[in-house]
Amino acid sequence: MNKREEGLSEPVWNLPELLERVDNDQVLLRELLDIFKEDFPQTLRSLQTAVTAEDLKSSSRLSHTLKGMLSSLGAVRAAAAASKLEALSAAGETASLRAALSALESEGECLVPELDAYMTEVRR
Amino acid sequence: MKILIADDEALSRRLLEKTLARAGYEVIAVENGKQALEQLCKPNGPRLALLDWIMPELDGPAVCRAVRTRTEQPYAYMVLLTSKGSKEETVLGLESGADDYLTKPFNAEELRARLRVGERILLLEDRLVEARENMRFRATHDQLTSLLNRGAVMDLLVRELHRSHREQKSTAILLGDVDHFKRVNDTMGHVVGDEVLIEIAGRLLKSVRSYDFVGRYGGEEFLVVLSNCNPSYAPGRAEEIRKSISSRPMQTSKGPLTLTMSFGVLLSSEWGQRPVEELLHEVDIALYEAKAAGRNCLRMAQPAAKLEMSPAMLPQAVRRRQ
Repeated sequence: MNKREEGLSEPVWNLPELLERVDNDQVLLRELLDIFKEDFPQTLRSLQTAVTAEDLKSSSRLSHTLKGMLSSLGAVRAAAAASKLEALSAAGETASLRAALSALESEGECLVPELDAYMTEVRR
Repeated sequence: MKILIADDEALSRRLLEKTLARAGYEVIAVENGKQALEQLCKPNGPRLALLDWIMPELDGPAVCRAVRTRTEQPYAYMVLLTSKGSKEETVLGLESGADDYLTKPFNAEELRARLRVGERILLLEDRLVEARENMRFRATHDQLTSLLNRGAVMDLLVRELHRSHREQKSTAILLGDVDHFKRVNDTMGHVVGDEVLIEIAGRLLKSVRSYDFVGRYGGEEFLVVLSNCNPSYAPGRAEEIRKSISSRPMQTSKGPLTLTMSFGVLLSSEWGQRPVEELLHEVDIALYEAKAAGRNCLRMAQPAAKLEMSPAMLPQAVRRRQ
């Protein structure tokens, strides 16, 4: 199914939890995925810029936004990565930001295909 | 019931919006703290709110603090949304004036249950406000007719007189007394007497504008205050009020009954700034004159005429009870 364990206990995308949260409303779920497809890359790009510029304030705010978005969607692992980046930004750990960002990026790369696969599946 | 959601992140906001709409709420969704505060300060704005902690413009705790400084509006029940609830954050949030907090991502069932707690608190507040309003109404209104009682109508009259003096306008004071009311009580009983007073109260209220006021001054005496009343129209308006009583019979439990009222009328602009007791004394004299002139009519309190008379010629403030 949609779970890709990859050695971690948390799933990439906790679809059952999300379905429960939307009360099995497929229309709403699709709407949320559409919002995500638009907002996620955009926010991630701004975050990349902030990290490159070592703008701690912006990277803290943007990773917080991503954390909210990802956790609402049930993207547990990516949300955890965003949370870590937020904490590092808040603590001023400039040196660790890039590594944390790449972790988040790779979680995003795992997540997006799963979402796309689901979208294709339900459209059929 | 209206509920406000404030979250700057579109996906979470949409999810909350839909969840709450499905739970039967009328949802208002905004994307920052400033808009949230605006909504919460609107008259008849939402009284339940879910506020994200971290938001642009104003964060959740700042919205709570600002809302708690309002004094006029009813209580707002506010829930802060946090992503990870460390103990420190929780304390800070509740200290800012939030009623509760929820950790994101929310569980739909828990969210609904917590909002029901909020609704219970709001219901409790409504009941307390209602009880207070009832007490206030009872303290200022006549139990039988629901008109303003003597104390309340006097307070309003004093305020109105000050205002009309300040604005150089005129207030018309009408003191009316039901003609031969004692006969109604004696021949038809007190129940019919009470019915008549209630009917008269209703007719008087209907014959004035919304910003005028009517009070029960004594047993069968009524005080009508026409605020900002053009002196040249006052006699005509007073006549209309008098006719509203005499023009058609009143329906009572013992059959229809035609009654009349006599009125003394005074225009504040003709009397300068005088204590309210003095003005009421003058209008009482005018009412006495109307009674003496055969009842079912009105007499104006005349300051000029009074000056020409010696104090001995002034009628005493005889109480009329017939």
